[in-house]
This record gives sequence, C-alpha cells and structure tokens, in this order.
Amino acid sequence: MKELFKQYLDKGISRRSLTKGLTAAGLTAGAAKTIAQSLAPPAAAQTAAAAPAQIREMKGTGGALFTQQLKAAGVEFIFFNPSTSDSPIFDSLVDESGIQLIKGVQEGAVVAMADGYARASGKLGVVVVASVGLPNAVAQMVNSYKDQIPILVAASSVSQESVGREQMQEYEGIERVTQPMTKWHWMASATTTIAETTRRAVKFATTAPAAPVYLSFPENLLRTEATAQIFDKSLFNVSMKVRPDKLDIEAAARMIIEAKNPLLSIGDEVFQNDAGKEILELAELLGLPVAGQGGSLGFWTKPFPSKHPLYIGPLLRQMRFPGAVDVHLNIGSKHGEQHMPGAKQISMRRDPTSLARGAPVELGMVTDIQLGTRDLIDAVKALATPARLKEIAAERLARTAEFTSKQRKLLDRVIKETPYDGDITMERLGIELEASLERDTIYVNDVDSGKRMDAFMSWGPDDKTYIGTGPNILGWGMAGAFGVKLAKPDRPVVGVVGDGSFLFSGPQPLWSISRYQSPVTIIVLNNRSYNNERNRIWMSGGTQFQAGRDMTCYLGSPDVDYAKTSQAFGVDAEIVKDPRKIQEAVSRAKKANAEGRPYLLDFNLARNGIGAASAWHPAYSVASKRKRMV
Amino acid sequence: MRKLVLIAAATAALSTVAFAQSPPQLPPGEGRDIVAVACSQCHTTNIINIMRKSAAGWREHVYDMFDRGAQVSDTEVDVVVDYLAANFGPGVNVPKFEVAALPDGAGKDLVQQRCGTACHDLTRVVVPRHGRKDWDRVVARMIQVGAPLTADEGKTIAAYLQEKFGEK
Repeated sequence: MKELFKQYLDKGISRRSLTKGLTAAGLTAGAAKTIAQSLAPPAAAQTAAAAPAQIREMKGTGGALFTQQLKAAGVEFIFFNPSTSDSPIFDSLVDESGIQLIKGVQEGAVVAMADGYARASGKLGVVVVASVGLPNAVAQMVNSYKDQIPILVAASSVSQESVGREQMQEYEGIERVTQPMTKWHWMASATTTIAETTRRAVKFATTAPAAPVYLSFPENLLRTEATAQIFDKSLFNVSMKVRPDKLDIEAAARMIIEAKNPLLSIGDEVFQNDAGKEILELAELLGLPVAGQGGSLGFWTKPFPSKHPLYIGPLLRQMRFPGAVDVHLNIGSKHGEQHMPGAKQISMRRDPTSLARGAPVELGMVTDIQLGTRDLIDAVKALATPARLKEIAAERLARTAEFTSKQRKLLDRVIKETPYDGDITMERLGIELEASLERDTIYVNDVDSGKRMDAFMSWGPDDKTYIGTGPNILGWGMAGAFGVKLAKPDRPVVGVVGDGSFLFSGPQPLWSISRYQSPVTIIVLNNRSYNNERNRIWMSGGTQFQAGRDMTCYLGSPDVDYAKTSQAFGVDAEIVKDPRKIQEAVSRAKKANAEGRPYLLDFNLARNGIGAASAWHPAYSVASKRKRMV
Repeated sequence: MRKLVLIAAATAALSTVAFAQSPPQLPPGEGRDIVAVACSQCHTTNIINIMRKSAAGWREHVYDMFDRGAQVSDTEVDVVVDYLAANFGPGVNVPKFEVAALPDGAGKDLVQQRCGTACHDLTRVVVPRHGRKDWDRVVARMIQVGAPLTADEGKTIAAYLQEKFGEK
C-alpha cells in the first residue's frame, strides 16, 4: 500500500489508479476515495493544475467578486436586508440572473429564512445584512450554530480609513459578536482577497459539521475594482463522505449482534446524511428498539417512522423499556450519548467535536451516517447467517412490539377520549391535522407546548417530514417555513408557530411570504401564553405557584388577532375556535396554497397545566401614572 | 383594613411552603412503582406532591405526560390514575392550612371551607385579582380537576370572588 501512495505522490499514477489499487488491497470504495482525497496535492498546486473552466479571472468591484464567487459555489439565493454601504453587492446583481435575491425586513427573519432553506435543501444559506443590524442576525444564528446548519452571513463595515474613529455606525470589533455562533469569522483586508475569502467561508460553512460563518467587507473594498480569480465549487467542496474504520465497525457489529438488551438511539445527523432508509434497515435486521431525540422540547427532525413497531419514542433517562440496556448504539445524535449504567456505548457521529463530549463512549466512530450505517449493516450480515439474524431480530421485535402495541393502544384511547366540545385542545388539533394534512407535507415547527401534538401525527422518510430547530431561540418558524418552501416548492409546507414564537419574530416573515407568493400555510397555536414555560416554572412549587400569580408568561393582554395581522400583509387568514371546524379551515388553507397563495390559521387554543385557567398578570398602566394628560 | 387582613393571610399561607417543597415521598400502594419510574424519567416526583387533583384531573395530566413521551401503557394507565387520585387527590395528605380571614358575603364560608383546605391554601385565591370571566373560568377549571364543589356552589364562589377579589 505504501508503494501505491509513493507512486501517487510522485505523480506516477493517477488518483483513479490509486483508488483502484486501494480497493484491490481490501479497502472499501469509500475509504479508498477518502484516502485519495487526503493525499491530494495542496490547494495552490491543484489550482495551477485545474482546468481553465474551474478557475476564471475576472475584474470587478468587491461586491461583484463576492457574488460571482458565490455563484461559482452554486449559491442560488441571497437572503438580505440592505444597507447603503453594501450596495455594490446588489449593483453586481442587476444583470445577473443566476442568483435570486430574497428580501426580509428584519435581520433575524433573514437568517431564519436562509436557515430553513439550508435545512431543507442541505445547501448553503447566504445572508447579507447591514452591519448595524448584525446583533439581530446573531439571535437567529444561535439556532443555526446549535443545529449545525451551513449559513454564510456577510455585512459591509465602515471603510478602512474610518476604522477607529467611532464614526456613525462604526462598532469597533463588531464581528466579534458572531464569534460564539460561528465556526469562523473574517474581515477582508483587500478587494483582491474577497473572492478567495468568500471561497474559504463557503468551505468552512459547508464542511461537516456545518455551521454559520461570518464575513465582514469594509465598504471601500466593496466599491473598489480589482482583478481576482473565481473558483469553481469543485475546487473546495470537501467531501465528508468518510467511512469508519473496518475493525471498529466489525467490533460494533459483533456487540449489537451479541447484546442481550440493545438500544438504538438516533438523531438529526441521520436526516442531514439522508440515512433514514439505512437506519430502518439496520433496526429491522437486528430487531433493535429505536429511540429518537426527545424530551418535551424535542429536536429538529424525526427521521424514523414513528408508527413502526420498533419505535419506542423519545430517548429518556432510565427508560422503563427496554430497561437495563447492555449495548447502546447511538447513531447521529448529539444528545444520544448518555450515561447508562452497565451499558457499553457505541456512537457513530458525523461531528467529531461533540462525539463523546456529553458522556464517555466505549467505541466512537466519525463517519458519514449513511455510509457508516451501510457498513454496519454489511458487517452484521458478514458475521451471522441470515437464519441467525432472523432469529435474533424476531425475538427482539416481539419484545419491543409488545411494548409499542400497548403504547399504541393508549394513544388510541387518548384519541377516543379527546373531546370535541369546548375549546380546541392541542390533542384535538394534532388529531385533526393528522387527518387532513397531505402525507408528504413538510411540517415546520417552532413551538414549545405545541410539541404535544407530535404524538398524534406520523413522521418518517415515507411520511410527513418534520423540520424544526433545537430548543434554542424562538421566532424562527414563519421565516423558516418560507425558507423550506423555497427549497422544496413542490411539497406542501405547513409552518407551525406558537403565539410566543409569532411575537418573538414579529410579523416580518409574512412580508416575505407575501411578496414572494410563497404558498405555505402558517398555523398559529394561540393559547395566549408561554404555556410550557409557566408549567415548568410553577412545577417548582415556588412563590408564583404558591401565590397563584403568573408574573411572566401570560400573553393574552393585549389579545392579539394574528389573522388581522396576517391580512395586513396581504396573507389571507382566519381565526378558528371550534374543534369541529378545524378540518374545514385546513381545507381552505390547502385550497389557497394550491392556488399559489399563502394562508394563516389562528387557532385559539385552550391552555393546559398548572395555573392555566388564570389570565392574571401583573398589570401596569402608564396612562394612569400621568399627571399631565398628554 | 381589608388589605391588612389579606396581607396577613398571604403571609400566613406562605408559611406553609413546606408542603410544596417537602422531599418527594410516594406513599405505598398499587401503582407507586410505575409512577416512581415512569414519571422520574423526565422530572422529579416532587412535582406530583404539589398538586391535588381528582381522578379526572389526574387522567388529563397523565395523558398529557404520555403525549410528551412518558412510557406508560394502556394496561397501566388506570392503575396510575387511581394511585395518584387516592394519594394526591383533593384533601389527601394536605397539611392543615391556616384559615385566612375573608370579607363577609354570600359564599365566604364556601371559599374558606372548600378553596382553602383541600388542595392549596387561600393565598392562591385572595392574592391574584381576576376579572369576571376569569373567575368563572378559574372556578370551572378547579371543579374540572377535582375541587369538591357542585355546580351551584361553584357559581356562588365565583360570584363572591368576583365581588370581593375582582379586578380593580
């Protein structure tokens, strides 16, 4: 093998020949490709050798160099809210049809749109905002950072000659506010470096584990003309299709075959690497009970079929079923590595930085989740006969199915006992949405207490797709749904937000939804409170609970009419209060979407939990404090 | 003067905080083991100790937890609800609250006897100020989750509370 490497590095053989030789020596095709990539010549040498079509020289303003490099990187959309100083960026797009501008009217909404687009498409979301509005953008970059979504955020800063003079809208070192929420941030130092800096930013943002990056362009650099090279994406698209070590995979396969009581937990990386089908195959091959990411807050995908008899619900601590686990296989979940007494932990993750971070693992593997799971399936099949595997799977499935069928019966009972009278409950709404939404709907979720509805609905690779955010910053949902629809225009998209989320973001996303004729349905779960928050606070039995005073969570005064708010932006909307009218209302929304129009449904819902009946809140009137009636 | 009485009542009631903050203790009985394990998968069982509900109220609560992922099955749910209602129902294992002085009026005795003894003290009744609709809703909700009141008694209480402790 060493000889092969030497020949390749000495340019005696081609990369294809190297890959072929490595495969012949016993490596998998993926592993051989990865090794060949790792041995690739440095960028400068590669640049020199690259075909002319992959590199072109151009003369233009800094703004033009930025947008042309983005175009060469495959960027389709720029999400923006403009400032005066970034006008060279938009000047460069006047006659450019390859990039579509998408305007948002607040920086947080702009980032959330780009984030939703990136989650649904797997592509880079590019954002241009005013430097002075950067802190607004950072609030939503929290979601992108925590959930490892590729976002490039750029802003123009004051001209270099003005730096340090504390001029209008100069905030010295403002780029540092992005530091905790970015993988990389950089300020361009010359117009000639803008394309190269942009190329590097795209590489950082998109290389798994993905993350936001931030670029700052001094105004004078955006306006100045320079000649620079534009690089095709093939020159910096770093493949992370890495496979785990063969011996590690064999060891993992042996452990899960021989386990007496195994558990498979899965997470968002399964969705990010499109590995849903492989996970299902592995689970069925070995009869593994599958737990998703969980807790009442949940995380941002549901990549396993939720009606499957092997799906046991969210991963909890000390799970009653399957009880004392002896082998815990975690695939693609940042939060799945949990200390389980007596269990050996195997974790396959695409993110090496958080692997074995939450808890120690006996066997950790960095891998593309689809390829790694495929290797694990192959290794399992190589270690046991089909008859033996069938026997193992049947015994485990029987145990798990006994548990899940009882869970299913209770769910059916809850559905049956959920009343139609009175106010609309979360349960009733979940049941009705399950009955009325198309099976290929993308359900974009930005709620807290509304996650209770998830249990009544079905999810999975061949079912409704669930896209949300981790439990971080609210206010993402409407803009996120718009971004998802942009990425998947041919699928029904329903954005579900709490009234809390709506108020966090404000109505600004409706402006973009309306302007760009985006046929999404927005559902507002209007229970006039941060309902889960109040429940969590009151459950501690503290003074607010004792006194029956909700000091913080009631939202119903003023009682916001979200339908009217929506109509003000040109988005048709209605209020729904009657549980029996839910399906009719959803039908009207679907009809509007089919006609190319967005629609908003403001569902007036019952609050639930401790203190739910009370609308008490600490009132205060500025008007009553006046001594002068002005 | 009324204000002074209420402040005194609130102070006295808050002295019973030990009820809410006592360590989690699950009384013996069928269903305890399920509750001990299934509920503590997500939170401490102290939360159970601070609430008092009828079987209907606990059923609603248990269903809510199930919706959120609690591992309870159809064969266990009735046992769990019965256990919770028997051990954490209205008037069960509740410390003796000091009875606050309330302003006279029709319904005063009902409030003192029913609202400030079975589940919580009177602080939660007399401190917050509610509007008319809100008091109706609060009392109706209390009956729904287990307050030992008839519908007529509920109306009397709501009317009294609206008059004496309504929004100013």
